[in-house]
Amino acid sequence: MTRSQTIALPLVLLVGLAVPVVPGQAHHSFAMFDPSKATTINGTVKEFQWTNPHVVLWVYAAAKEGETPELWNIELTSPGNLTRIGWTRHSLNPGDKVAVEFAPLRDGTRGGGFRKVTLTDTGQELTGNFQATEKPDLQ
Amino acid sequence: MILISRLGFAAAALLLATSVGRAAEPREIDPAPTAADWAALAKLPDWSGVWTPGVKDQNAQITSNPPPWTPDVATQMADLAAQEKAGHPRGLFIDCLPEGMPSWMLISHNAVEILFTPGRVTLLGESDGSRLRRIYTDGRSHPADPDPSFHGNSIGHWDGETLVVDTVGVLPQSYLAVSEAVGIPNNGDLHVVERIHLAETDTLHDDLEITAPHVLTGPWKTTRIYYRQRAKKYEIIEGECLQGSFKDGVDAKDNAIFVPVPLVDGNPRAQ
Repeated sequence: MTRSQTIALPLVLLVGLAVPVVPGQAHHSFAMFDPSKATTINGTVKEFQWTNPHVVLWVYAAAKEGETPELWNIELTSPGNLTRIGWTRHSLNPGDKVAVEFAPLRDGTRGGGFRKVTLTDTGQELTGNFQATEKPDLQ
Repeated sequence: MILISRLGFAAAALLLATSVGRAAEPREIDPAPTAADWAALAKLPDWSGVWTPGVKDQNAQITSNPPPWTPDVATQMADLAAQEKAGHPRGLFIDCLPEGMPSWMLISHNAVEILFTPGRVTLLGESDGSRLRRIYTDGRSHPADPDPSFHGNSIGHWDGETLVVDTVGVLPQSYLAVSEAVGIPNNGDLHVVERIHLAETDTLHDDLEITAPHVLTGPWKTTRIYYRQRAKKYEIIEGECLQGSFKDGVDAKDNAIFVPVPLVDGNPRAQ
């Protein structure tokens, strides 16, 4: 724990209460994301939230070059589904430089549905399509 | 005096025991399984492994095999479908309550495993802590007035290698959904009959007949497909729906706690 986290906690709680809060984010339709407007942002991983029902990638990135980086949230499928296509909870880590491709939220807020991430330092690519193949005995 | 008291106490105790014995109903129990009961499980079809749902087929049936909605419900469904198409999906399950019956069987994108024990078949689903169905195969009937629940009261029997499941007692609020954004509470008197069987060695079919008199004009039949996975990475992992509404944090005393994530319409949002 860092001191800044301790100080930030009450603020986080307040922010959590100040916005319209609906408990849970389960099983929602991905229609809120617009797949026809695939977007890529370059930034730095703040946090890789490995939780059900959806994993969330929090990234600091500037919408356009030269602008101040802001926080984006990119939603993925569940930990179970990601595990089966090779991810682990350590696939992305705070501080990683990344290029993230996603289908943006239609309402224009900073977020979207995950498509692909490229780790800038290694060139490693990870995709999120766990339903590319539907058949028995997948490897 | 002491003797009289003792005699009196004994008489009272005897009277009490007699009256209790006379009034008591036979105690209903789940008997301990016998070696024969366990051995009988080996004769059932092999449904081991993890089953992943055929989501493409779920989606195809939205148009190819829609439920026979009543006219009023059809209007509501068209409105929900239009909202989803316009990019403003109504989240039916964002409150993290269970998908329940019959929606779990109809629209889940997540894996399930099926356990056989004497007198019971148990379905355990991933991604939602309460995704669990207990199907009693011990010959019992439904209770006369079951307490309503998300998954209802299920009794089953084997018809050859097909498990026939009859489900009643589902909460009226439990959705009959065709997608995560299009569905309606069943509104009561839901009755689901399923015939679950291997269509191929590693393909399981759940043939459902759904009667929901307050939202459907007649029974709706649909088949849902599951594919068997044996790779260890498909083993079911814990999933608690509400956990996604929180992230790791610490309190002022340095205890590990969950901190709420800011949500909009149930979804995490950068603020």
